[in-house]
Amino acid sequence: MLDASDHHGYRSRMRPAPAFPEIAVVDLQVCDRCGLCLPLCPPEAIHLELTDLVVDQSTCTGCRKCIAPCPVGALTMVPA
Amino acid sequence: MHRPLPRRRAHDGPRVTHDTDVLVIGAGPAGAVAAWEAKRAAPELDVVLLERDARVGTPVRCAEGVGNAGLREFADPDGAPWAARKITRVVFVAPDDTEVKVAERDVGWILDRSQFDAFLAERAVALGAELLVSTEAAGMMCEPDGRWRVRLRGAGGEAICRARVVIGTDGVEAMVGRWAGLETRVPARDMESCAQYVVEGIDFDPDAIYLQFGAGIAPGGYAWLFPKSPGVANVGLGLVALKADARNARQYLDAWIARRYPRGAKRTCTVGGVIAHTTIRQTYTDGVLVAGDAAHMINPLSGGGIVNAMKAGRLAGRVATAAIRAGDTSASRLSAYHAEWMAQLGDDHLKYYRLKRALEDLDDQFFNSLARAANTIPAGKRTLGRIFAHALVRHPQLIPVAARFFI
Repeated sequence: MLDASDHHGYRSRMRPAPAFPEIAVVDLQVCDRCGLCLPLCPPEAIHLELTDLVVDQSTCTGCRKCIAPCPVGALTMVPA
Repeated sequence: MHRPLPRRRAHDGPRVTHDTDVLVIGAGPAGAVAAWEAKRAAPELDVVLLERDARVGTPVRCAEGVGNAGLREFADPDGAPWAARKITRVVFVAPDDTEVKVAERDVGWILDRSQFDAFLAERAVALGAELLVSTEAAGMMCEPDGRWRVRLRGAGGEAICRARVVIGTDGVEAMVGRWAGLETRVPARDMESCAQYVVEGIDFDPDAIYLQFGAGIAPGGYAWLFPKSPGVANVGLGLVALKADARNARQYLDAWIARRYPRGAKRTCTVGGVIAHTTIRQTYTDGVLVAGDAAHMINPLSGGGIVNAMKAGRLAGRVATAAIRAGDTSASRLSAYHAEWMAQLGDDHLKYYRLKRALEDLDDQFFNSLARAANTIPAGKRTLGRIFAHALVRHPQLIPVAARFFI
C-alpha cells in the first residue's frame, strides 16, 4: 500500500506504452547515487532504495532521458 | 539524540513507533531549518527530522558557496567552524580566458557543508526536535483522519510514523512530493549535471570565486572555482546534457581542470543535479509541504539553493505549526506557504529563469567581447549593474533580454 508504484493518479496517465526495444540499466560500480536521474524519468521508473539506484525494468519505456544527464555515465541502454 | 531506528523483533510487522505532529523528511538546510522553526514557533508540538545517511551533512553534493546577507538571516558566520572562507571578490572568466574582476563588497562565504548541516540539525535538536539518522522514508499514504502514514526504513528494520504534516525536504529526488501527488519532474533542458573535485596545490586568489562560461567548457552552465583555503578549492562545473557533446559532466570537468589547473591534485569527486527551473506549480497539498531543492526552489541563474532552502524551510515550519494549532492542515490552509514563498523569492525566480533562457541564445563571441568591454570600466566601479548597463549600450541585442528581465 505504501510503495511509490502504488500511487498512480496523474502518473498512470503519463505512462506511455513501451515504444522502444531498449531499457535503461545502471552500473552500480559507477553510480554515485546522486539522484539526478529520478526527476528526469517520465514514468518514474528510477528509485533510490537505501543505498542503491534501481531502474524498474517493467516501467522503463526506453525514452533515454536519463542517459546523457548522468554526470558519470552510469546509465546505459540495453535491449529489453 | 542521534539514534538509529529501533531494531525490529522477528515477528513484528511494521509497527507504529511514532505519532508526531510534524515529520520532516531530509535533514539538509531546508529540513533542519523547518524542524528548528517548527519547534521555535510551537514548542509543544512533536517534530521528527529524518536523515537517510548515517551522518547529517555527508556526502556533500554542493559547491558550498552562499551569499552573505542571506546566510546571516540564519546564522553568524564570523569565526564559525562551518564557515570555510570569506569571499570578497568575484572573477568572471570569458570563454577565451579574459578575466573580469567585479567590484562587489561582502560577496559571501564558502561553507563546510558537512559541518554546517550538522550545526543546523543540532540547533533543531537543541530545541527538542527528534533526529533519526540512517533512516529513510520508503513511502506514504493518507489516512482517513487526514494524517499521513509514512513507512520508515533503516538498518534495523521498518517502522511507521504517523504525522499531521509531512514536510518534504528530500532534495532533487523529491519523492515526498511525488508520493503526495505533486508534479516534481524536471524537463531535461532544465537539469544541470554537475561534477566537482576538491583540488589541492593550485594557484588562485583565495578571497575570490571564479566563474567561467563557454559552450566548450560547460554548455548551458558554467565552471567554478570556490576557495576552501589558500591552494585548495572546490573546482566543478554544471552543464545541460542536451547541449553537450557525447561527454558527461565529469569528462568535461577533467578536460577543464587539465587545461586550467594542470598541476592540481584532484581529491574527492562528487556529482549531482541542480534543477535550474522555477518553483513547482504547487508546493503543498493536504498535510504536505515541500521545500528547497525538492520544490525546485533554486536560483535558475546561479544554481544557488542553500539560502532559498533555509527561507522555504522557515516558512514551512511556521505554516505547518500554525495549521496544526488551528486544527486545519488542509491544502487550502497550507496554500499560504506557497503564496508567501512566491512573494518572497518564487516570483523573482520566474524572472531569473526568463533571463537564463535569453542568455542561452548568446554565444561565446558575445561573452568574449562583453568581457573586454567590461574591463574598460575602472576597477573600483566595475559592478555587475554597471557591466550590464555597459553591455546594453555596446550590445543592443541585449535590450530584449533586459526587457524580459524587468517586465
